Amino acid sequence: MATFELYRRSTIGMCLTETLDEMVQNGTLSPELAIQVLVQFDKSMTEALETQVKSKVSIKGHLHTYRFCDNVWTFILQDALFKNEDSQENVGRVKIVACDSKLLTQ
Amino acid sequence: MAASSTSQVYIQVIDDVMIKVRDEFVNNGGPGDEVLKELQSIWESKMLQAGAIVGPIERSGAPKPTPGGPITPVHDLNMPYEGTEEYETPTAEMLFPPTPLQTPLQTPLPGTVDNSMYNIPTGPSDYPSAGNEPGENNEIKGGRPGPYMQPPPWTSQNQNQRAPLDVNVAYVEGRDAAERGASNQPLTQDFFMSSGKRKRDEIASQYNAGGYIPQQDGAGDADSQIFEIEVYGGGISIDAGHSTSNGKMPAHSDRPASQIPQFDGPIPYDDDVVSTPNMYNYGVFNEDYNIANTPASSDVPASTPAPVAQNEVDEEDDDDDEPLNENDDDDDLDDLDQGEDQNTHHLVLAQFDKVTRTKSRWKCTLKDGIMHINNKDILFNKATGEFEF
Repeated sequence: MATFELYRRSTIGMCLTETLDEMVQNGTLSPELAIQVLVQFDKSMTEALETQVKSKVSIKGHLHTYRFCDNVWTFILQDALFKNEDSQENVGRVKIVACDSKLLTQ
Repeated sequence: MAASSTSQVYIQVIDDVMIKVRDEFVNNGGPGDEVLKELQSIWESKMLQAGAIVGPIERSGAPKPTPGGPITPVHDLNMPYEGTEEYETPTAEMLFPPTPLQTPLQTPLPGTVDNSMYNIPTGPSDYPSAGNEPGENNEIKGGRPGPYMQPPPWTSQNQNQRAPLDVNVAYVEGRDAAERGASNQPLTQDFFMSSGKRKRDEIASQYNAGGYIPQQDGAGDADSQIFEIEVYGGGISIDAGHSTSNGKMPAHSDRPASQIPQFDGPIPYDDDVVSTPNMYNYGVFNEDYNIANTPASSDVPASTPAPVAQNEVDEEDDDDDEPLNENDDDDDLDDLDQGEDQNTHHLVLAQFDKVTRTKSRWKCTLKDGIMHINNKDILFNKATGEFEF
């Protein structure tokens, strides 16, 4: 199963990365085992988002910057509005990083 | 998505990762199950600190006992329990502590309050008020320093200083001298009668009969140099010795008009006089205006050279080309990226299905994403975006 390393930049991914980094620095964990944990996290996170999350979001805003490189879209929005089923959030500036979903199915 | 469901998804991801990597930790000479549990506990504590997981972590199964952990002591109920702990038998004083006796103050009825504690003597007043009626006893004692007070700092000064005025005596024009000095005098005269200080009436006797006290500080104005103020039809100008027009009328014709000599700056000729100040190009030239009648130094300040225009020097550099990346848009992006770390870093991580653009209108469809916005994590399955560029 192909995975993205995209979700390592999320809150849960950063917490795991910091934890593994501390344990490798202490000598408790080997770097190879830490990489295996991160790869497994990529798989588990992708699977959880596919199977357990069912919510829909709409995003509107002013597109300040767009970039498409290595099959990754990067958008920087200003004055963005996020509408959810539960609530809506206003953000002055937000970055969107999106990978190509077709690469996972190949 | 609600925060509780986001927490549940995160907990399930943590559990799934722990289950899947357990074989690597336990088998093949791995670090062992203890290291895996340490990894899980640190990971969860960091998530709690970051606010990604809300509240206590609740899992579906019962918590597994930690191998090698502390053993909970089990007491046999069939045997009499002999505990090593000593408990203090609660007594009546412990259960019911005596409350201190409270004696409430009686609230006085209106009209019966003794206001004597609030009558603070503040000296005689010019205006009649309560407490200053003619028939009442309003004896005021002069304020004398107590034995614990240090002598005032002005008593130890040099004796041959000039005597300043008593600023505590309010001067009102038209009042008698006896009435003028009697306002708060008894309260303060003991402090100001120390040696080396003279009162106001002692000073006035030294000078001329009109009671005129000459100026004792600052720059004194000599009588020989008097401005001649000339009144125009609508304005006032100060005559500096130059020719005037016929429509002017001297305001003080009885005083001899004298010209103010010029002390600083290049002396202009009579035909060079213009009304524009600072016409001569010399730099900042400090002169002490606090010293009376001090002429400026004979050295005329050198004029500041005019700045040379940049085009005159760098004419040969005009042929060089501009830097290639001078007007790139990446500079703006770098500025924005630097500001991300200071504020809350709002980020959306997802997978895109389709991105389209029509003129300046962008549309995209995203899926399986995580949004970190306003310090909250929101998970979504589908997202649609419409942006105006």
